[in-house]
Amino acid sequence: MRLDWLCRACVLALAFCAVPAWAAFDLPELMTLLAKQKSGEARFTEQRFVHGLEGPLDASGTLSFDAPDKLVRRTLSPRIETMAVEGNTLTLSRGGRTRTLALDSMPELLGLVEAMRGTLTGDGATLQRYFRSTVSGSAAKWTLDLVPMDSRLAAQVRSMRISGRASDVLGLEMEFVGGDRSVMNITPGNAAPSSAPGRTTP
Amino acid sequence: MPQQQAGGPPGWRRRAVVLLAWLLVLLCGAVVIARTQIGADLSAFLPKSPDVRQRVLIEQLQSGVASRTLMLGIEGGSTEQRAAVSRAVAKDMRESKLFDLVQNGDVGDWSEAGAWVLQHRYQLSPGVVPGQFTAEGLRDAINETLSMLGTPAGNVIKPFLDRDPTGETQRIAMELVPASAPRSEDGVWMSRAAPRALMIATTRAAGSDLDAQAVAIARVHAAYEAATRGMGATAPKLLLSGPPVFSVMSRDKIKTEAIHLAVVGGIVMGGLLLLAFASPRALVIAFLPVATGVVIGTASVSLVFGSVHGLTLGFGSTLIGETVDYAIYYLIQARGAAVAGTGWQRWRDLNWPTVRLGLLTSVCGFAALVFSGFPGLAQLGVFSIAGLVAAALATRYVLPVLAPDGATGMGMRRYMAQMAGALVRGLPRLRWPLAALGVAALALVLWQGGHLWRADLGAMSPVPKAAQQLDEMLRNDIGASDGGVLVVAYGDDEQAALRNTEAAAARLDALVEQGELVGYETVTRVLPSVAVQTARIASLPNAETLRANLAEATKGMPLPASRLGPFLADIEAARKLPPVERAELAGGPLGSILNTLMYQRPGGGWGTLVVLHPGAKFDQGRLEAALAGLPEVQVVDVGRELAGLYQRYLHEAFVQVLLGALAVVVLLGIYLRSWRRLLAVCQPLLFAVVLTLGGMALLQAALGILHLVGLLLIVAVGSNYALFFDQLRTTGRADEDTLASLMLANLTTVVSFGLIAISDIPALSSIGRVVAPGALLALLLSAAFARSVAPAKAARP
Repeated sequence: MRLDWLCRACVLALAFCAVPAWAAFDLPELMTLLAKQKSGEARFTEQRFVHGLEGPLDASGTLSFDAPDKLVRRTLSPRIETMAVEGNTLTLSRGGRTRTLALDSMPELLGLVEAMRGTLTGDGATLQRYFRSTVSGSAAKWTLDLVPMDSRLAAQVRSMRISGRASDVLGLEMEFVGGDRSVMNITPGNAAPSSAPGRTTP
Repeated sequence: MPQQQAGGPPGWRRRAVVLLAWLLVLLCGAVVIARTQIGADLSAFLPKSPDVRQRVLIEQLQSGVASRTLMLGIEGGSTEQRAAVSRAVAKDMRESKLFDLVQNGDVGDWSEAGAWVLQHRYQLSPGVVPGQFTAEGLRDAINETLSMLGTPAGNVIKPFLDRDPTGETQRIAMELVPASAPRSEDGVWMSRAAPRALMIATTRAAGSDLDAQAVAIARVHAAYEAATRGMGATAPKLLLSGPPVFSVMSRDKIKTEAIHLAVVGGIVMGGLLLLAFASPRALVIAFLPVATGVVIGTASVSLVFGSVHGLTLGFGSTLIGETVDYAIYYLIQARGAAVAGTGWQRWRDLNWPTVRLGLLTSVCGFAALVFSGFPGLAQLGVFSIAGLVAAALATRYVLPVLAPDGATGMGMRRYMAQMAGALVRGLPRLRWPLAALGVAALALVLWQGGHLWRADLGAMSPVPKAAQQLDEMLRNDIGASDGGVLVVAYGDDEQAALRNTEAAAARLDALVEQGELVGYETVTRVLPSVAVQTARIASLPNAETLRANLAEATKGMPLPASRLGPFLADIEAARKLPPVERAELAGGPLGSILNTLMYQRPGGGWGTLVVLHPGAKFDQGRLEAALAGLPEVQVVDVGRELAGLYQRYLHEAFVQVLLGALAVVVLLGIYLRSWRRLLAVCQPLLFAVVLTLGGMALLQAALGILHLVGLLLIVAVGSNYALFFDQLRTTGRADEDTLASLMLANLTTVVSFGLIAISDIPALSSIGRVVAPGALLALLLSAAFARSVAPAKAARP
C-alpha cells in the first residue's frame, strides 16, 4: 500500500513537474487558502440551460459574503430579487414580498448553501459532511467538484463544480438531475484584497 | 315534622318516616350523581363575565388549537430509528382519524393538497391582481417563474410551466411553508438541541372533552408501542406533552389523590373516633352526616351547574369534613340523660342551637363563594352549603333515631377530657403573650402587604414541575409560537370573520416587511373571503385579451406563447369556478389547516386564529398599534391575560371572603345580641387568622387564592369552637365531656386538613396548610380568651 502511494506521488510529481510545489494540492490546502478571505463582493453572470426552453436563461447581479455565515445573492437582471442567508435563516425577497425560512428545515437547501459557505469560508469539514469532494488543479487555478451525499439533494442536483484562482472563487457550475445546467461566472469586485496568488514552497 | 314529643326515644312511626325520607333523599342524590359528568378543564377557573380578550382566550383554552395540541418527542436510539418511529407513529395517528393534523416533518403526502391548490390557484393566490395579466405583468411574472428554472427547485416547477407560467401555485405554496420549523433530518423533524425526533398533532376532539383526549393520548402510546416493537433496549423513548396531556393528567391525579385522601383520612378519623368512643356502632353513626353531606353536595352541584369539576369533589369533601364534628358533638353531648332515650331531647334543646348557629356562620362564609364570578369557586360554595345543611339535618333528625342517647362507649375520652380540662384552665394565663404575638403577626402581615399574596396561577397547577419542563423543552424544539401572542379575528358569520382576518393580514404583511415578524399563518391563505375570491376571478381577462397580452409578453422570451395553451384553458376554466367555501375545504386535503385556524364561537359567530412567528425585532406594542382600529381583531397575550385573570380572581376572592366574614359577624351579632359576646366570639377567630398569616409570612410562603379560601374556612370552623365557649360561659356548664367533644372535633379537623397539607396537588395543600394550624389555633385561642368557663377540678368523676 505504502509503496503504491509513493508511486502515485511520484507520478503526480512528474506530471506537475512544471510547478512541483502544487503536486499535492488537496482539499485542506484549498480550504486554508480560501479561509484567508473573510469577506468579499463580486459581480456575477449566470446562464442556465433548461431543456424545453428555446435558448438559455440569463441573469446577472452581485454576490457578497461575510464570514462566517452571511451570504447574499442579489439578482439585478432580468428582475430584482434577493436571497440572503445568515446563520440558519434564509430570507427571500422577490416580487415585493419577503419570506423567511429556517434553513435546516429544508435539508436540500441547506446542502446547497453549505456548499457555497463552506467553500467561501474554507470549511472543509462542513463540505465533507454534505458532499464527496474532489480537488484538482493548483492554487493558481483550482476546481472543486462536489457530489451530494444526501439523498434528497442528490435527487435534484447531480454535481457542482466550483472553480477559482487562489482565494477567489470565479465560477460555479451545477448540473441537475434531468439534464438542466447552470453556469455562473464570478468577477471579484473592488472589495477583494489584492494579496498575491503565489505561495512560497512548503 | 313533629317537633315536640313526650320523653323517651322517638316513636317507631317517626323513626320509619325519618329514615325513609333520609334514604329517599340519599337515593335521589345517588341517581343524580350517577348521571353526572365529572369535568377537569381549566374553564372552571375562568370568569363567567370576561371582557373581549378574555373571552377570546377562554375560547382558545376550551376548544382552540392551543388546548388540542399534543407535542411528541422521540428520544434516543439512532437517527434512523427515530425517523422510522416518527413515521410509523404519524402514519398510525393519521389513520386513527382522532387527529385533525399530524405533523412530523414528512412532506410526502402533499400531492393531493397540491392538486387542489393548483385547481383553485386563481382564487387563492395573492398574486392575482388586475395588473398581473397585462402584457407587462405577465412578462414580469413569467420571468419570475423562469428564474426558478435551472435551480434545484426547477424540477418541481417544470411540469406545471405550461399551465401556470405566472407561478401562482408556488406563490401559494411558499405562503403555506411556515417561517420557523424544526430541523429536518432523514425526512422528519428533529430537535436542534438533542437527539430527538419531533411531532405535533391536534386532536379532533375539543380540549374540554377529556375522555376523548384520553383516548387520543392512549392511541399515541399504542402507536409508539407498535412502532418500537422489536427494537429492544435501544428503542427510542416517547415523550408526550401539551395541554391535553396536562388536562388528563390533572384529572387522573385529582381523582386518585381525592380517593387516596378519602381513604387515608377515613382510616385516621375512624381510628380517632374508635379511640374516643370504643364503639364501631358510634363510628358508623359518626360518618353518616359526612356521607350525607358529600352525596347531597355533589348532587346539588350537578343540578345547579350541570357537571361537577374534579376539584370540587376533590376538596369539597374536605371542606365539609367539619360535618363529622356535628356527629361528635351529638354523640357526646346527648349522653348522660336521666331517663333512657331522652338524651337527644336535651341535646336538641341545649346544644342544637349552637350547632345551628355554627352551621349558619359556615353557610354565610361559603355563600360568599357562590356569588363569586368564577364557576370553580361557585361550585365549591354550592357544594359546601348543600353538604353542610344536609349533614346538619342528618345530625338533627337521623342521629336521634339511630342513637337516642348518643354514644355509649367512653374509650380514651376520659384522658382527652382531662387534657381538655387542663388546657382550658391553663390557657387563659397565656392570654396576654398570645395577644402580643397576634399583634406582632398583624404587624408582619401588614408590613409584607401585597408581597405576601404573590403566588401566581402556575402555583395552582397540579402539573408537576418535571412535566412543565418537558413541555417547555419540546415547545422550544418545535419553535411553537402558540405560547406567546395570538391574533384572533372574528365576525358574525364566516365571511365577516374571513374579511376581518384579511384586514388584519394586510397589516401584518407590513410588519413582515419591517422584520418584526418572520411570518404568520392564517386560514385566509387557503380560504379567502368570497369578496377577495370574486375580485381575483374578476381580474382574470377573457381568452382573447389574454392571448394578445401573452403574445406580447413572451416576445423574445425562451418560453414561446404557443406552448401556453393549457394556461389559457385553465384561466378560462377558473373564470367559471364557484368561490371556495368552508364546507368544501373542510372535507378536502387542507381541512386540517381550516380546523386548526378557524372555529365556531360558542356564543355564535366565527373566529379565526392568526399564528405569529415573531422576528428578532418583534414588539408587542407595535403589533397592537399596527392592528389598532380593527374592531373585530384582538391581540391576545396568553401569559398576560392569564396573569390578569388571576389578579382579577384574587381580587374578587378577597372581596368575597371579606363579605363572607362580614356576614358571619352580622349573623353572630344578631344571634348574640351583645357587643361584648360578639367581641368575645370574634376575638379568637381574628387572632387565629392573623397568627396563621403571620406564620405563613414568617415561612416566606407565597400565598394565593386558595390560601384565602383556607382563611375563610378557619373562620367557618373556628366559629363553632368560639360559640361553644360562649355557650359554656353563659350557661355556666363546662363539663369535661363537652370540652372533650370540642377537642375530638378539633383533632379530626386538624388531622384531615393536615393530610391535605401534604398532598401533591398544590390547590389542596395550600388549603390544608392554612386550615390545619388555623383550626388548632382557633380552638386554643377560644379557650385562652374565654374567661371563667374552666370547670372546677374534678367536677365530674
